[in-house]
Amino acid sequence: MTAVVRAEGLTKYYGRRRGLEDLTLEIRPGEIFGYLGPNGAGKTTTIRLLLDVIRPTRGHVRVLGAGSREAAVRARIGYLPGELALEGRERAADYLAFLGRVRGGVPAARIEALAERLDADLSVPMRKLSKGNKQKIGLIQAFMHEPDLLILDEPTGGLDPLVQQEFLTMVREVRASGRTVLMSSHVLAEVEHVSDRVGIVRAGRLVAVENVAALREKAMRRVELHFDAPVPAEAFADLPGVRELRVEGAGLRCTIDGRPDALVKAAARFTVVHLVSEEPDLEEIFLTYYSDEGRDDDRQEPA
Amino acid sequence: MIAKSLREFRRSLIWWTIGISAFMAMYLSIYPNISGNPDLYGAQALAKFPGALRDLMGGLQDMTSGLGYLQSVVYQLFVPMLFTVCAMLIANRAIAQPEEAGTLELVVTLPVDRRRLLLQRFAAFALGLLAVAVITLLVTWALAESVALGVGLDRLVAAHTGVYLVGLFFGSVTLAAGAASGRRAPSLALGGVWAVLGYVVVTVGQNVEAIAWLKWISPFHYYATGRPLYQGLPAGDYLVLAGAIAVLVLTAVLAFDRRDIGV
Ligand SMILES: Nc1ncnc2c1ncn2[C@@H]1O[C@H](COP(=O)(O)OP(=O)(O)OP(=O)(O)O)[C@@H](O)[C@H]1O
Ligand SMILES: [Mg+2]
Repeated sequence: MTAVVRAEGLTKYYGRRRGLEDLTLEIRPGEIFGYLGPNGAGKTTTIRLLLDVIRPTRGHVRVLGAGSREAAVRARIGYLPGELALEGRERAADYLAFLGRVRGGVPAARIEALAERLDADLSVPMRKLSKGNKQKIGLIQAFMHEPDLLILDEPTGGLDPLVQQEFLTMVREVRASGRTVLMSSHVLAEVEHVSDRVGIVRAGRLVAVENVAALREKAMRRVELHFDAPVPAEAFADLPGVRELRVEGAGLRCTIDGRPDALVKAAARFTVVHLVSEEPDLEEIFLTYYSDEGRDDDRQEPA
Repeated sequence: MIAKSLREFRRSLIWWTIGISAFMAMYLSIYPNISGNPDLYGAQALAKFPGALRDLMGGLQDMTSGLGYLQSVVYQLFVPMLFTVCAMLIANRAIAQPEEAGTLELVVTLPVDRRRLLLQRFAAFALGLLAVAVITLLVTWALAESVALGVGLDRLVAAHTGVYLVGLFFGSVTLAAGAASGRRAPSLALGGVWAVLGYVVVTVGQNVEAIAWLKWISPFHYYATGRPLYQGLPAGDYLVLAGAIAVLVLTAVLAFDRRDIGV
């Protein structure tokens, strides 16, 4: 299994300003990789390096098995720029047709189908499009040639919730067909439901790469149980992973760190009438990466 | 890519064609008045103009003959300058303008080699300017015939080719500067300053020894000294211009290929 993106020691300085420092990262075929970080972290810098829009100061990167300078490979990449600029009197449909031709041909029907899904109007001159509608054109051009790798820089910016949902569906379809997606965002909530893995950059450095499912499993969650009769507190004492236990009559509250298995087995000895389990708040975990400098090194996990 | 670029340039190309044609029409249509008034516009009358102004207008030898009139008012200063400005503005649309607007980012991520992309944008610019040149040449010819200017088509072609090359040269200067810097205003400024100084050097400056040698780097030298309208196509001079353009384009290709886009 060869990596779709393989960056080694990738570094970019804009003059003396740091854009990205020593990025080592591998993105695997068929995964959706969420690329997270606050403003100015280096997400756009990374993405532009992958697409050879800018050149690295140090290090190198291979995309789809080719060097980033090889133009031909870009026919297999779909790219949505973070600051998408669409201008002029040209109609969106003509622009899309042009992009499709240069990338080796895209059936008009596929463009129309995408436009319909995203509810985009292709007959409007591009300079008259609103921000969200420009973003839709950007998404259509990124998806339309069914690329092996989609690189999307803040794809949901300006989209209304309905279109965001449709977009996420499209991303899942891409994964289902075995293709790969790299998408950047500021917030985990935007990508956690589709991403297989997420990477966090801060101040130009990759500080963590995590598997979303594993993260969810590890996450703390609050649980509430109600029984048909009062239960003895001792029955739940010292269960692995159970914390902040409070038993009051027929009610039990606690937080679970990791798997809820032990708690469920202990509760099974009584009659459970009601169970509430909150979704783990991954955002909270990730916020610690934003703020907690000390964890930089022990969390680094270059894939 | 070339067709798409031409489509981007189309509107301004059309307006420039109309503008230059209108300029030609205006000046050529008053030729009968001038040739009919040798007292006002004949050689003696023109001798009264201040020397520097005469130099700037290329000598103002004789306005009452068809050739002299055409050379003085059309091919000496105004039309080359119009072409130069037109060429620089369109050349700026090849790289620098879309780069500043941000639209170039998506284009450079297409599966087209950077060098090739630049050559295609240049080709579109050169073809667009050629269309302007051909159409305005035909308009000039038709007008010249209608006012009985008495200048053959071959001479018009010779002069117009020179105008086209001068325009292409300054457009290439702007394009190369834009390809290297990605910035619009400095690229335009470089071409503009070069054009103005280059023109001054070959006219007023030709008598000033200290700067006269600068004529070698002025495209107007290669355009004007052969006096294409009087003597026909100066092949050698025009080849120098063409060579200079080739060097500029090569510079543009190399600079563009090495650079970060949109930073
Ligand atoms: N053209 C540039 N010139 C100088 N510095 C730049 C340039 N582009 C980016 N930088 C710097 O590089 C760093 C990373 O910027 P980058 O655009 O990659 O961040 P980002 O993660 O995409 O941020 P955002 O979420 O705001 O889009 C920032 O500190 C920024 O100031
Ligand atoms: Mg960004």
